[in-house]
Amino acid sequence: MSARAADRDGRPRLRAPPAAVALLFAALVGGALILASGANPLLAYYQILVGSLGWGALPDTLNWATPLVGMTLVAAIPLRGGMINLGGDGQMVIGALVAAAVAVYLPAPGPIAAIVALIAAGIAAGLYAALAAWGETRHGIPMLISSLLMSYPAIGVVSYIVRFPLRDTTTGLPQTSMIPESARLPTIAGPLNVGLLIIVAVAALVVFVDRATIVGYELRLRGVNKRFAGYGGVRLDAQATRVMFASGAIAGLVGAIIVLGSQFRFIDETFLTPSYTWSGLMAALLAGGEPVGAIAAGVFFAALQTGGFAMQRETSIPRVLTLVLQSIVILFLAVRHSVGRRA
Amino acid sequence: MAAFELEARGVVKRYGALLANDHVDLAVERGEIHAVMGENGAGKSTLMSILYGLQRPDEGAVLLRGAEVHFRSALDAIAHGMGMVHQAFKLFNSLTVWENIVYAREPRRGPFVDRRAARQSVAALAERHRLNVDPDAVVTKLSVGVRQRIEILKALYREAQILILDEPTAVLTPQERDGLFEVMRHLAAGGRTILFVTHKLNEVMAVTDRVTVLRDGRVVDRMRTSETSPREIIRAMTGRSVNLKVDKAPARIGAPALEAVDLAIAAPGGKPTVDKVSFAVHAGEIVGIAGVAGNGQSELVEALVGLRPADGGSVKVAGRDVTAADVAERRAAGIAYIPEDRAAVGAALGANAADNLAMGFHRSAPIGHGALIDRKAMGAKARALIPKFGIKIAGERSLVGSLSGGNLQKVVAARELSHEAPALIAEQPTRGLDVGATEFIHSQLIAERDKGRAILMISAELSEILALSDRILVMYEGRILADVSAEEASEETLGLLMAGREPVAA
Repeated sequence: MSARAADRDGRPRLRAPPAAVALLFAALVGGALILASGANPLLAYYQILVGSLGWGALPDTLNWATPLVGMTLVAAIPLRGGMINLGGDGQMVIGALVAAAVAVYLPAPGPIAAIVALIAAGIAAGLYAALAAWGETRHGIPMLISSLLMSYPAIGVVSYIVRFPLRDTTTGLPQTSMIPESARLPTIAGPLNVGLLIIVAVAALVVFVDRATIVGYELRLRGVNKRFAGYGGVRLDAQATRVMFASGAIAGLVGAIIVLGSQFRFIDETFLTPSYTWSGLMAALLAGGEPVGAIAAGVFFAALQTGGFAMQRETSIPRVLTLVLQSIVILFLAVRHSVGRRA
Repeated sequence: MAAFELEARGVVKRYGALLANDHVDLAVERGEIHAVMGENGAGKSTLMSILYGLQRPDEGAVLLRGAEVHFRSALDAIAHGMGMVHQAFKLFNSLTVWENIVYAREPRRGPFVDRRAARQSVAALAERHRLNVDPDAVVTKLSVGVRQRIEILKALYREAQILILDEPTAVLTPQERDGLFEVMRHLAAGGRTILFVTHKLNEVMAVTDRVTVLRDGRVVDRMRTSETSPREIIRAMTGRSVNLKVDKAPARIGAPALEAVDLAIAAPGGKPTVDKVSFAVHAGEIVGIAGVAGNGQSELVEALVGLRPADGGSVKVAGRDVTAADVAERRAAGIAYIPEDRAAVGAALGANAADNLAMGFHRSAPIGHGALIDRKAMGAKARALIPKFGIKIAGERSLVGSLSGGNLQKVVAARELSHEAPALIAEQPTRGLDVGATEFIHSQLIAERDKGRAILMISAELSEILALSDRILVMYEGRILADVSAEEASEETLGLLMAGREPVAA
C-alpha cells in the first residue's frame, strides 16, 4: 500500500495548481518583507505591474525576455529528458565571441556575415555542450558536474581572447571592435530587434518538436523513465549528445543575438551579470522541462525583473526584491513537491 | 474466554477515497500458524503494517493477549514481542551473522561489545530453534534461504513471541521452502505464534492451522485449513472459481526463432555471470528457464535483447545473427520482451497509457511518419488494446502509475504481444500478480505459443515453469545445468538442480 492507492480510483484530487499557490505565497511573503522595510507593498506591486506590462514598458520586457526565454529553452530541453545543462554561461559566451569574431572579420556582405555568425555561434556552443554529454556517456563523468565545470574555462578563455588577441585597442575596455552596421540584426521597433523573432521561432520549433515528433516523444519518455526508453529501443547515448548539442546551440544563439542585436561587439563580463542562465534554469525547473510552461515562466520572470527596474526607479525599494520573489516561488514549489511525495 | 494472542478488532484504514481495511477482524491463537491470504490490493500489507506498528488504524483496535495496545512505531511493536520478516531482507551484507543478529542489543562488557558472549548466544539460539547457521559467516556469502534464517533469528533474539512472515517463500528453492516450513512448525510447537502472509495455496495447505481471507479490504472468510480445500480458498479470494490447471494442446514445433550460442558475460574478477550458454527456442514452444533469482538469468536476458553487451558468443533471431545489433534493431528483427521489472523497465509510470503502449512502435507506420508522430494513430492503438486485454483504466490519456500490478502487467503484455515478432521473451511474467491476473497472462502466453510464436519464459516460480513449459532449462551460477522435457520434470528434480546439484543417474 502506498500513497498511489489514494488515486487508484482514477479521480484526480482537487488541488489548486501548484504554480498559482506558489505565486500567491511569494506575493504574501514578499509583501511582508516590503512592509517590514517600511514601504507600501501594494504600491510596489503596482509599479512592477505597470513597469513590465504597461504599454510603454512592454518592449523593454520583450527585450529582456529574448535572452531569458532563450536560456530557459537551453535548460528546458535537456530537463525534458531528465538531464541538466548547467553550462549555459560558458556556451553563451562562446557563441557571443564566435558571433562577434565572424561579424567583424568575415569578408562578406553584412547580412550574410550576420547569418553565418548566428550559425557559427550555434554550432560552436553546441559542440562545446555536446562534449559534456560525451564525457558522461563515454567516461561516466556526470553531466550535471561536467557541464558546470566546463563553463568556467570557457568563460576564462573567452575573456583572454577578448582582452588580448581580439581586443579593440582604440578603447581602454576589454571588448572587440564594433560590428559593421550592415551585419547587425535589423531593429523592428524601439529597442526590439530581429533577435526577438529568432527566439520566438526557436521556441515554436522546440514546442513543435516536443509535441509532434519522434525525437520529442523519445526525449519526453526518457524524462519519465530512462530505463523504459532504453528498453524500448531509444539510443540513449546518441540522444544525450544530440540533446546537449541542441541545448548548447541555443545558448550560443542567445549570445550571438546579444552581440549582433544590442551590444554590437563583445564586451567582456556583460553577459553573465544579468544571470539569464540561472533565471532560465529556474523557469525550466518550474515547469519540469515542459516547454510551453517553461516559456511562460521565462516570460513571467522577464516581466518580474523588468518591473523590478521600474519599481526601483519609482519607489525606494531595491529591485533585488523581484529576485527574492522569484526565489520564493521556486522554494514554495520545491516544498510542495517534496511534501506531496511523502504524503 | 481465553484471550487471543493477537487480535485486530474492527480495523479501518483509508488512503484518500480507497478503503484499504474495512472493519477487519483478525484473531490469532497462541502457538498457531495463521495464514492471511488475499489477492493484491486486498489489504494484507496494510493490515500487517498496522499490527507491526508501521501505520496506525483510522478506527478499531489492536489487542495483544487481551489488552489493547497502541504501537507508535515498529520499535514499540518489537518491545511488545512482535517480529517481522520482510520480503526484502534488512541485513548488513558485509558483517557476520552474529553481528547482524545482536545489532543494537549487543551483550556488553563495560563499553565494549562482548564478542564471545554474543557469538555464544547466537549459536545457542540457532541450535535451540534448529536454524542451522554459522555465526561467523559473512552475510554476502550466504544464500537467500540462509539470510532469511538470520532474519528470523534476529526476531527471536529480540524475544519475539509473534512472527509476521511477509511472503517468505518468494525467493526460496522448494527445498529451502520445506526447511522454512520445518522451522515454522517447530517455532509454533514451542508456543510462538506465526502470521503467514502469502498468496500461494499449496503453502497454506501445507503448513497452516487456520486461514483468514481478505478481499477488497474486508475479511470474507475464516477457515480451518484441515476443513477446507484450495478451491474453496480461491473462491473466497476471488469471489469466483478459477481454473487452477493450465490447459494446453501438444506443441507443434517449428523452426528455431531465438538462438544463443556460447553466450557469455564476464564478471570482473570472478566466475562469469553467464557461462557459455547455448540453447534454441523454436516456433510454437515455450521454453522455461528455472532457477533461483540471481543465477545469471537477468543478465542472460539483457544480453539476448541487446541491453547488455555480451563478452562472447552470439545471438540469432529467426536465423539472423543480431549479436552486433542494438535494442531497436533486435526488436525489428523479431524480439518482443516482457521485462522482469514492469514498473522500472517495462513502463513509464509518469506517462499515459497511449505513450506506454506506443513505445517501440513509434518509429514506424502507422504511428511514426518520417520524423513525425501521429497522435491519432497512437490513441487508436491504445483504444484497441485496452479492451482487448481487459486493462482497467479510465482512458488512454490516464497515467499508468495509478494502475495495480496486474493491470500494469497487462499494459506491458498488451504492448509486447501486439509486436508480431517471432520470438517473445517473458521474464517473471506473473511475479506479484494475483490469481486472476496470473490466469489471464498464462492463457495469453499459451495462445501465443499456439499461434506459432517461440516463447522463452524465465521464472523463479517452479509451479509456473511446470505448468507452461514444453521444455525446461535449469540455470545455476551462470550455466545451464539441464535441458529436460516438461513430462520428465518434477518439482523435486528441478529443485535439486536449482540448488546446484547435478542430476544423479535416475
